[in-house]
Amino acid sequence: MDTMDCTQARNLLSEHQDRTLDTAPAAALGAHLRGCGECAGADASLLAVRGLLRGLPPDPAPPELLARVLPAVESEDRDARPISAPGGADAARPFLSRFRVPLEAAAVVLLFASVYWYQQTSPPTVRPPAAPSVQAPVTTPPVDVSPEAGKASPSRPMAAKRDVAKGPPPAIRPPGGNPETAMEAGPSLPKPRPWAADGLPSAPAYFASTDSERIVPAAPFPRLTADLEGPGAPASGGRRSAEAGGGANFRLSRSFAAPPSRLLRPLPYERDLVVNVKPESREGAEERIAEWALRLGGIVERVERNPAGADPGEGRVRAILPVPVATRFLEEMDRIGTIPPEGKPDAADFPAGARAGSIAYTVRVR
Amino acid sequence: MERPDGKGRPVDLLVEGFRKGTPGAFEAIVRAHQDRVYSFCARMLSDREDALDAAQEVFLSAWRNLSGFRGEAALSTWLLRIAANRCLNRIRRRKSLSEREAPWPEPSGEVDDGIIFQPAGGEGDRPDRLAETCEMREILTEALSHLDPGSRWMVLLSDVEGFSYEEIASLAEVPVGTVKSRLHRARMAMRRLLSPVA
Repeated sequence: MDTMDCTQARNLLSEHQDRTLDTAPAAALGAHLRGCGECAGADASLLAVRGLLRGLPPDPAPPELLARVLPAVESEDRDARPISAPGGADAARPFLSRFRVPLEAAAVVLLFASVYWYQQTSPPTVRPPAAPSVQAPVTTPPVDVSPEAGKASPSRPMAAKRDVAKGPPPAIRPPGGNPETAMEAGPSLPKPRPWAADGLPSAPAYFASTDSERIVPAAPFPRLTADLEGPGAPASGGRRSAEAGGGANFRLSRSFAAPPSRLLRPLPYERDLVVNVKPESREGAEERIAEWALRLGGIVERVERNPAGADPGEGRVRAILPVPVATRFLEEMDRIGTIPPEGKPDAADFPAGARAGSIAYTVRVR
Repeated sequence: MERPDGKGRPVDLLVEGFRKGTPGAFEAIVRAHQDRVYSFCARMLSDREDALDAAQEVFLSAWRNLSGFRGEAALSTWLLRIAANRCLNRIRRRKSLSEREAPWPEPSGEVDDGIIFQPAGGEGDRPDRLAETCEMREILTEALSHLDPGSRWMVLLSDVEGFSYEEIASLAEVPVGTVKSRLHRARMAMRRLLSPVA
């Protein structure tokens, strides 16, 4: 006997199929389904749907899943396994990884010890002479290996004056030289520790240390050696010691960086340049000079005619040029006018040590 | 003992192996269950990348907690529980949930209401034949995606994965009666959605 309506029957279809209905409702539903074709059809279609779902095969997992999970687990294994995971897998950890932090600490201590040892065993503290004047640039490395070190040289008037004023620079004992002679050159200074010049690094250093007590070998400018070895080279270019002989290049190829106070001074280096221009081409000479400075990639700071304190008819051009084009600029100045010997600074005569990126010329046009 | 990997290798032994620190034990567990876990996540989230992320989280969580797995349920059940929780959390986090998920249809007397498939054709299109094809898998997945997430995971756990009412109730932290009624409504919705083929 059917005691159930269709709505009640359909609400029980799920439980009926799951066989979780109590006996009485199950019997009533069965009676209704036998008499109601529509509800029986709903029961059958629901059963079919559930059959489809039950047979729904799993989608194959993409390979990325395993490729993601395993590295992530290994990463966690390294970091968290000793605390949160069972100890079985802990045995698989690399032995040295347990001592990673102590090893790193030991490495840091060793590094500091190495730096300290290097400082303690560095070459003696010798201060190089003062920076060369911008008016009379120094053409030699500020090292004198001769016993007459400290004496003024006629070809280095400005440097000689400074040397006299400050006293002789400390002599650096050449390899195999007489230490007593070196000590005579600078008796007021502490006795330098013996060291060998050939202990210097073979590769040239282009940057001086900020440690002002440290001697840092610097790269010689190519033309410096040529000038010194040429016939017109000033005699002061590092007085060659007698024992140097043909091996004088050893000295000439080495110079010493200026102290940081000079290296760190504001750039560019200053140069004064005098250009005598013929009267017929005097007009517009300043503009031509400025144009060349600009054409060579420089900056023209000012162009003046008859500036205060200058000779009558004198003009001045102040230009800042990159160092690589300085020689070219000087050549052009030589074409515009004549540069007297005293008015032409040697463009190749850059001070030893750090190379300035630019050079400022104050061109005085007469 | 269950043998879901089809290789005759009991998973319980894999769990024991993992506990003992046997190399490769966890990889074997992942290989044995990754299809099932990933499928569940993909059907729950309807997004491949989300499913990959969720499945990865499931296995990472399993790795962290497998030492506390007491074996009262099958490992697959335990993993699917984790997956269900992860997927539900992800679904809750989706801000655009209301736009992305169509409300599941209320049961009504109309058979063709909410039909999403073309009517079946000849004998070759019978449901029992189609179930064996990838097309039917796509049809079922599509139909499942039309359910609201709260009902979908119950259908997946109950009708696809074979969880009992009680297991689902403990997972959802709702009474068993609520599970029964929600499951019934979801099944009827599925029946209506699949009426042309089922």
